[in-house]
Amino acid sequence: MAKIVAEHLKYKYPLSEKLALYDISFTIEPGEFIGIIGENNAGKSTLCQAMVGIVPNFYKGAYGGKVLIGDMEIAKSNISDICKKVGIVFQNPFNQVTGCKLTVYEEVAFGLENMGLPRSEMIDRIDYSLKLLDIYKYKDRNPFDLSGGQMQRMAIASIIAMRPEVIILDEPTSQLDPQGSEEVFRAVQNLSREGITIIMVEHKMEKIAEYSDRVMLLHEGKLIAFETPEKIFSRDDLDCYGVTAPAYTRICKSLGIKNKKTGFYPVTLEETKSLIGFSEKERCPYDQN
Amino acid sequence: MIHKLDPNSKIIYIFVANIAPALIGARMATASFILISIVILTIGKVLHKTAPMLEFSGLILLTVAIIQGIFHQGNTTVAFALGSVVFYKEGLMFALGIALNVINILMSFSILVLTTKPSDMVETFVHMGLSPRLGYVMSSVFQIIPQMTKTMATITDAQRSRGMETEGKLKTRIKAFFPLISPVVMNSLISTKERAIALEVRGFGSKQKKTFLNDLQKTRYDDIFRFVLILILILSIFWRVLIWLK
Amino acid sequence: MTRIEVQEMHFSYTEQEPILKGINITLDERSTAIIGQNGAGKTTFVKLLKGLLRPMQGKILFDGKDIACMTVAQIAKHIGLVFQNPNDQIFKNNILDEVMFGPINIGMDEQEAKRHSQNALAMVGLSDCEDKNPYDMGLSERKLIAIASVLAMDTDVVIFDEPTIAQDYRGIEKIKKIIRTLKAEGKMVLTITHDMDFVADCFERTIVFAKGKILLDGQTDKVFSKKEELSQAYLEPPHVTQLCNSLGYDKVFLRVEDFVSYVKSKGIENK
Ligand SMILES: Nc1ncnc2c1ncn2[C@@H]1O[C@H](COP(=O)(O)OP(=O)(O)OP(=O)(O)O)[C@@H](O)[C@H]1O
Ligand SMILES: Nc1ncnc2c1ncn2[C@@H]1O[C@H](COP(=O)(O)OP(=O)(O)O)[C@@H](O)[C@H]1O
Ligand SMILES: [Mg+2]
Ligand SMILES: [Mg+2]
Repeated sequence: MAKIVAEHLKYKYPLSEKLALYDISFTIEPGEFIGIIGENNAGKSTLCQAMVGIVPNFYKGAYGGKVLIGDMEIAKSNISDICKKVGIVFQNPFNQVTGCKLTVYEEVAFGLENMGLPRSEMIDRIDYSLKLLDIYKYKDRNPFDLSGGQMQRMAIASIIAMRPEVIILDEPTSQLDPQGSEEVFRAVQNLSREGITIIMVEHKMEKIAEYSDRVMLLHEGKLIAFETPEKIFSRDDLDCYGVTAPAYTRICKSLGIKNKKTGFYPVTLEETKSLIGFSEKERCPYDQN
Repeated sequence: MIHKLDPNSKIIYIFVANIAPALIGARMATASFILISIVILTIGKVLHKTAPMLEFSGLILLTVAIIQGIFHQGNTTVAFALGSVVFYKEGLMFALGIALNVINILMSFSILVLTTKPSDMVETFVHMGLSPRLGYVMSSVFQIIPQMTKTMATITDAQRSRGMETEGKLKTRIKAFFPLISPVVMNSLISTKERAIALEVRGFGSKQKKTFLNDLQKTRYDDIFRFVLILILILSIFWRVLIWLK
Repeated sequence: MTRIEVQEMHFSYTEQEPILKGINITLDERSTAIIGQNGAGKTTFVKLLKGLLRPMQGKILFDGKDIACMTVAQIAKHIGLVFQNPNDQIFKNNILDEVMFGPINIGMDEQEAKRHSQNALAMVGLSDCEDKNPYDMGLSERKLIAIASVLAMDTDVVIFDEPTIAQDYRGIEKIKKIIRTLKAEGKMVLTITHDMDFVADCFERTIVFAKGKILLDGQTDKVFSKKEELSQAYLEPPHVTQLCNSLGYDKVFLRVEDFVSYVKSKGIENK
C-alpha cells in the first residue's frame, strides 16, 4: 500500500496569472481518511487532479515540486498507469460518463475492461459496487437517463469497482439524499479500514468531522493546516478561510463547552451529546430519556 | 436479433453488398441489396432512424440527377423536356446508377452503425488490430449524429425555458434552428475534452491487454448469415468469370 | 397572488416505469422546499411545471389557467427554472450574453435587460466577471451564472433545482439571501435540495417526495418532527434537530441559534 508524499508542489494553469497551488507539502499514510476543506476556488479540485496526474499531464501549465504515490512520481508517469493505483471521482458526475457505453452496467465495466480483468471477476465487482451504491436496479438504464444523484452514485461505483489503492473523491455526495451520503461515507470508511487511502473534498463539515482522520484546510492555493478535525474546527479564524465549523461545534462554541480532556471543542453529534447531556444531568436529571 | 449479430458479420455484409453488385455489373443487383438492407433494418426496428440521412443525401442525389440529366457527356436520347430544358436518358440512367450505389453504401453501413453498440464497435475494431484509441475515434465518428441530436435537444430546452419560441409553426422552428448551431459545436468541443479526461482516468490509454464484459460470441445466425454472404460473393465472382470467358 | 395547482398528475419516461403517480398539490406564496430520495421524481416534477415535460394524466393550472395550452416559451415569462446541471443550461460564450438571453426573449428592451442582468450578476457576486467565458469557470460559479440567468428574467415564480451544489458556506449564505429577497418581492420560490440545514433556515413550507408521491407536506418544523416518515424517504432532520432528538428533548429546534438561546435560557452551561 502506497504512501502519498507531496513536496513543494506548485502549479499554475496555462492561461492564468496566479498559482492555483502554492508550495504544498504533506505526507499521507496508507489507509488514512483525509478530508479536504476550503472555500470555492481554494484549489481543492486542482490538488485532487494533481494526485492522479491530470495536472500536469493533461492540462500542462507551469509545475514545480513533486507528488509521489509510493515510488511513482506523478508528473513523470502516464495517467493510464497512475489510474491503476489512484482512482478519482470528479466533482461533476456528468463529466465522468464515458459516452461509449449504453448501460449503467457496461459503464461500470469500462475501467475493468481496460485493466484486463477476467470476465467473472468483472461481474463480481460490478454487482458488488452497484449494490453498494444502491443503483443495481438501474443497471440496464442508459447512463444519461439517470437522475443527478443516481449519476453521482454511478461515478462512485465505477471507481470503487476498480479497487485502486488510493481513492480521491471530489465533492462526491453533493447531489445525494441525506441517507445516501451517509452510506457513501460509511462505505468509504470501510474501504479505508481495509487499507485503501481515502482523500475526500467536502463542504459537509459534520461528515468530514465525523469520518476523517485528518483534515486539510486549503486557502488560495496554500495549505493552511493539516490536523485532526477537532484541532481544525476549534480554530477561531475559520471565517477568514470561508469555511464554517460543524453545527455541533458552533453550538458548543456559543455555549463555551469544550472537551476537558483534549481542550478542543467537540465536532461530532456523539461527543456533543455526551458533553451537553452531562452538564444537563447535573441540573435536571428527569429531562433525560 | 439483428442487434445480436457479431459486428464482424455486419462488416462482411457491407463488403459483400458493395462488391458483389460491382462484380455482377447490373443495377438490379445493387437494387436487390438495397432491398435486403431495408428488410434487415426493418427487422432490427431501426429503419426510421435512416430517414434524416436519406433526406439529406436524397437532396444531393437530386442535384446530381438534374446536372447529369442535362449535361452528361453521352447524352443522345431525349427522355423528356421541362419547358426549354431537355433531360436525356443516358444522363438520368447514369445518375440512377450513382444514386443506387450511394444508397446501397449508406444502407449497408446503417446496419452496422444503427444496430451495434458503440462499445462493441470499438471492441471489434480493436480485435481487427486497430489501437483502442483509433477504435474509439472511429466509433465516435459513427456516434456524431445521435450525439448531436441529443445536444440539440438539451440546448433547445435551455433556450425555450428562457423564453425563446421553438415550437409550433415551421417558420418558428426554422428560425430557432440557427441559434443552435454555434452552441452545439461549442458543446461538442468541450465535451470531447471532458470525455477524454473521463476515459483517461478509467485506464483507457493503458497498454494492458483489454478484456471484455460481453464476450462477443458468434451465434449460429452469424454462421448462417456469413455462409450466405460468402456464397453470394462466390456466385458473383463466377458470374464475372463467365462473362469474361464468353 | 400567484398560485400553481397540480391535479392528479401522472408521468413516466418509459411505459414500464411510472415516475410520478398522482400528484395533487397547490403551491402558493410560501417559500417552499422540495426534498426526497434520489430518483424520487423531484426534477421531473419541476420540469413538468415548466412545460419541458407534459403530464400523461392530470393537469397543471397556473393562476387558474391550464398550462397545457401554453408553449414552454410562454410559460417562461412566468416561471423561471434553474437546472440541476448548469452544463445543460449554459450555452453562450460570454457571461453577460448568457444572462441577458432570457430577459431579451421575454420582451425586455436591451437597456432594461442589461440592467436586470447586471443586478442579477451582482446578487450572485459575479459582477467583475461579466465578460468572461462561462466555460472557463468552475462548477460553483457556473451554478451561480445559471441562477443569475433566471433571476434576470424577473419571473413571478422562481424554481431552483439543487442550488447549493458545489457551493461553499458563503455561497450558501448568498443563495439564502437571494431566496429571502425574492420572497420579500412577493415571488413564489420553490427549491429542490438535499441540504436539510438549508431547508430549516430558509423555507416556510416543506414537501417530501417519495417514490413518485407526496409523502409529507406542511410547515417545515412540523415536517422535520416526523422522524419515521423522514427516514422512510431516505432523509434525516437538520443537524440541530438530530442533536435535540438524541438528547431526548421534547422541544425540537431546527437552527443553531434557537438551540443555543434555549439552552442558555435554561441556564445549562459548562462550568
Ligand atoms: N430521460 C430519462 N429517461 C428515463 N428515466 C429517467 C430519465 N430521467 C430521469 N429518469 C428516472 O426518473 C426518476 C426520477 O428522476 P428525477 O430526475 O426526477 O429524480 P430526482 O428526484 O430529481 O433525483 P435527484 O435527487 O437524484 O436529482 C429516476 O428514477 C430517474 O432514473
Ligand atoms: N481548467 C482551468 N483553467 C484555468 N484555471 C483554472 C482551471 N481550473 C481551475 N482553475 C483555477 O484554479 C483555482 C483553483 O480552482 P479549483 O481547484 O477548481 O478550486 P476548488 O475545487 O477549491 O473550488 C481557481 O482560481 C480556478 O479559477
Ligand atoms: Mg472543486
Ligand atoms: Mg434532480
